[in-house]
Amino acid sequence: MENIIEVKNLTKEYKNKLALDNLSFEVKKGEILGLLGPNGSGKSTTINCLLSLLSFKQGNIKILGKEMEPNAYDLKKEIGVVFQEIAVLEELTVYENIDYFCGLYIKEKEKRKQYIEEALDLVGLIEYKKFYPKQLSGGLKRRLNIACGIAHKPKIIFLDEPTVAVDPQSRNNILEGIKKLRKEGATIIYTTHYMEEAEILCDRIIILDKGKILAEGNKDSLKKLADIEEKITVEIKEIKKENLEKIKTFKTVEEVNINKNILTITYKKGKNNLEELMKFLKQNNITYDKVFSERPTLNDVFLNLTGKDLRD
Amino acid sequence: MFSHNFKYTLKILLKNKILLFWTFAFPILLGTFFHMAFSNIENSEKLKIIKIAIINNENYQKEELFKNTFTHLSDKKNKDRLFSVTYTNIEKAKKLLEEKKITGYLIFEKENIKIKVNENGINETILKNIVDEINCNQDIIKTLLNKNIHYQKIQNIITQNEVKLNNITSKNLSYTMIEYYTLIAMTCLYGGILSMFITNYKLANTSSVGKRTSISPIHKLKMLLASLLASYIVQIIGIAILFMYTIFVLKVNYSSPIPYIILLALLGSLAGLSLGISIATLIKKDENTKTGILISITMLGCFLSGMMGITMKYIIDKNIPILNKINPANMITDGFYSLYYYDTLNRYVLNIVSLLLFSICMILLSYKGLRRQKYDSI
Amino acid sequence: MTVFKTYFKIVKKYKGMILLYTILLILFSGINLSTNDNNTNFTKEKPNILIINKDENIGITKNLIHYLKKNTNTKEIENKEQKIKDALFYRDINYIIYIKENYRKDILDGKNPKIDIKTTKDYNATLASQILTRYIKVQNIYVKNMQNEQEIIKNINKSLEKQAKIEITSKINTTQIEKMNLYFNFASYSLMAIIIFIICFILTSFKNKNIHKRITISSMNYKKHNRIIRKASLLYVFIVWILFSLLGLILLKDTLLSIRGIIYMVNALVFAFCSLTIAIMISSLTNNKEAVSGIVNVVSLGQAFLCGAFVPTQWLPKNVLTLAHILPTYWYIQTNELLKKLEIINLKEIKPILLNMLILILFSILFIIINNQISKRKQKIE
Repeated sequence: MENIIEVKNLTKEYKNKLALDNLSFEVKKGEILGLLGPNGSGKSTTINCLLSLLSFKQGNIKILGKEMEPNAYDLKKEIGVVFQEIAVLEELTVYENIDYFCGLYIKEKEKRKQYIEEALDLVGLIEYKKFYPKQLSGGLKRRLNIACGIAHKPKIIFLDEPTVAVDPQSRNNILEGIKKLRKEGATIIYTTHYMEEAEILCDRIIILDKGKILAEGNKDSLKKLADIEEKITVEIKEIKKENLEKIKTFKTVEEVNINKNILTITYKKGKNNLEELMKFLKQNNITYDKVFSERPTLNDVFLNLTGKDLRD
Repeated sequence: MFSHNFKYTLKILLKNKILLFWTFAFPILLGTFFHMAFSNIENSEKLKIIKIAIINNENYQKEELFKNTFTHLSDKKNKDRLFSVTYTNIEKAKKLLEEKKITGYLIFEKENIKIKVNENGINETILKNIVDEINCNQDIIKTLLNKNIHYQKIQNIITQNEVKLNNITSKNLSYTMIEYYTLIAMTCLYGGILSMFITNYKLANTSSVGKRTSISPIHKLKMLLASLLASYIVQIIGIAILFMYTIFVLKVNYSSPIPYIILLALLGSLAGLSLGISIATLIKKDENTKTGILISITMLGCFLSGMMGITMKYIIDKNIPILNKINPANMITDGFYSLYYYDTLNRYVLNIVSLLLFSICMILLSYKGLRRQKYDSI
Repeated sequence: MTVFKTYFKIVKKYKGMILLYTILLILFSGINLSTNDNNTNFTKEKPNILIINKDENIGITKNLIHYLKKNTNTKEIENKEQKIKDALFYRDINYIIYIKENYRKDILDGKNPKIDIKTTKDYNATLASQILTRYIKVQNIYVKNMQNEQEIIKNINKSLEKQAKIEITSKINTTQIEKMNLYFNFASYSLMAIIIFIICFILTSFKNKNIHKRITISSMNYKKHNRIIRKASLLYVFIVWILFSLLGLILLKDTLLSIRGIIYMVNALVFAFCSLTIAIMISSLTNNKEAVSGIVNVVSLGQAFLCGAFVPTQWLPKNVLTLAHILPTYWYIQTNELLKKLEIINLKEIKPILLNMLILILFSILFIIINNQISKRKQKIE
């Protein structure tokens, strides 16, 4: 597939502190690429470098096959960005805000009008056209922020944590919107520190930490990087030591832990584990309240790669 | 693209109440205060009737010349009336003086005349001068009598004495005008708040909206130019409203040629605009702090050019001229002052040139920051 | 302690603001204190004049100049048109006398020549005019009746020499007190601006933080929190007052260390407290910092102009002064003006001063009541 963006050896320093360390990756046409990492891992810095807002020490950035630079106006035309901070003008209504930013790209008034309507529809703000930003709730403001970034129908869209501090309803709306944009043919670079979002949304994920790429791939290939396959948690009233020892001898069990009345069992491989355990519990008359089975998450991957939680 | 930016900048500026307050409402409010406080100053400096008392004793009764003169000077029909005289005894006069109901009183002793007053003041001095003058006339009469000139002739000589003073003062001498000039200067510089606000919105390192405009496919300086033009126009509207208000409501008479006034106001606003740009680009603080800095600079500048005491401008001009040579508020104030008071345009031109230089300097200083497209950090 | 510390951390953040208004005060009073230094005796009200003599400085001309120098403050100003014009405009000089070429000759020829003058048309200019006119009158008379220049000069001087004795009953040193008065009058502007600005900013900052605080730190009672803020505000006001008193001490030296000076300071303290209550009231009106800085400028500058902080009260129009009664600054400045004129200081004499202070306190109470009403109403809405 065609590469829309190519980044080679991108290195950025803030006052002698390394922010991006020799980053190289590419974004393919029509995909949603997720940049996943904890706060301060370099996601926004990467985007700002790609947009030529930040100077960097070394590296090479090509967008649509051309060198990206501040004066590359033909490239800029094709790009839409939704920044992490809400970037709208308080003095303008919802409609005027979108019109203003869209107008920086689209000259024809009729076309612009149509685009604005479509953007309003996409983020579900049609009824709020005449509202001022301060009259909108946090979630609605975020949606407006998105509409301002994408109304001009760019081919490449950068979304920098667009769902931070957003209510579930707005969040779903935003995620649905992003999927729609991809369907319409846009290539999307999406940064987040919510692994669930990355899992649901992204075709490919790059995990960043301290300015370095830790891992890259689709969610399944990434999850293989976690050295567990399944984790089962059981709330039990009581369990004898001998029974615990027995569980440990199951073929695929990696580790058994008990903390008060929570029993956690991690498995190396992931087939029929739950069935086997239930059977065992029944046979030995061990009563239990709740049972959860979890597949490894990207957090487990991250944990395994860095020894710390993604959300720290 | 130019008109798109221009139109939206106008819209943004005209909807921001805080900006409008500083550029439109505040100057008008302050102008009203000035009008209230200063409308009386120059009038009240003219002479008022001075209240005095004279001890009506035997000695006084002998002093024909004094009696006549004081009767004349306190005559209500006299248009040059200076005094209102109470003839009384010493106790009452003392009491009146203590209660500050009179400026002073006169006691005629055998050889001497004593004036008793409470304090040093203008009225006291005038009283003394009059007494001295009568004394002097008495002496003249004595001298001329000694020269065998007839008393009646002496009287004629004294009364028909003509003093030819030719007043060549220029008409425009109302120094409270300085107050209104500083007010205009303040409005011009406060206008910088508009350009500051606009510049903040166009730079990626000062606002998130700035990031958004920076990634758009439009040349940054072109976009900035369109927006600054809009802010300049809003500024000019503010100044125009202030002028109309002072002329038609407060009845301030600028009495200078209008084209010169307009040129000065335009350049003054330009100085404000450039000041705003440079604060926006050069100072790395949040917007509130920047506003505070702009207001502080303006206030200090206006203070030095006489807003809170007109003599301040004169003292600075005279003793630390350099301070006011680089003070944009004073360039504007002084420009108006020289138009109003001077017959030649030299000083006005100097101020015009200073304002231009100031604006150019400010814009040059901020140019690097304005042109910058990539930042080390944002 | 944390609340207390945070409070003064915010104060520190706005130190630029405090500095600005303090500098304004120092400049204003500093310059006023240094310029009027020659006013120590009755010659205080000598008009400032400028003599531009194009004639030879001998005989009658010399005598005229000598007489003028004796009876006025003759200023030396660089003979540049611009400097002279400025000096007249700003009333540095009140009167300019141009003595023409051949003045002496014309006089002796009995021509009564014209003398060009420029005048500011105020009290002092009138005085100068009187002095000049008197001399010329005497001169005219003697020139008409005598021939010898020396005789004329002798007689002129003899006639003009006769002067009344003037006695000043007042014993107070008016100049020093006048300066103290200037300082404290202008201080009303600086004090009020510094107090309202900073306190409003701090209170609005705390209001925004409060919302978080109430949720996160439940261990701190809300009322206790407010009490600490009130105490910190009082402390801040007190510190500002001390600062201004010390500044006054530096500028005015021992004049301030008199009973009169102490009453001036007490008056300033009461006024500072009143400013605090205004600040509290304003901050209950709005939470917007930018709006606050607008309101503060209008309130402080407006009061300063209308109540006589910049312009002596006797120059203000009567109707403005009547209107000013509803402004706290008016009462503060009235007290200063009363104090300035006070001959002897005893309980009876300072009664009106105490009354003014009481009015300031009543104003403060009124502001607090208004503040409470507004806050109550706002809470209900929430």
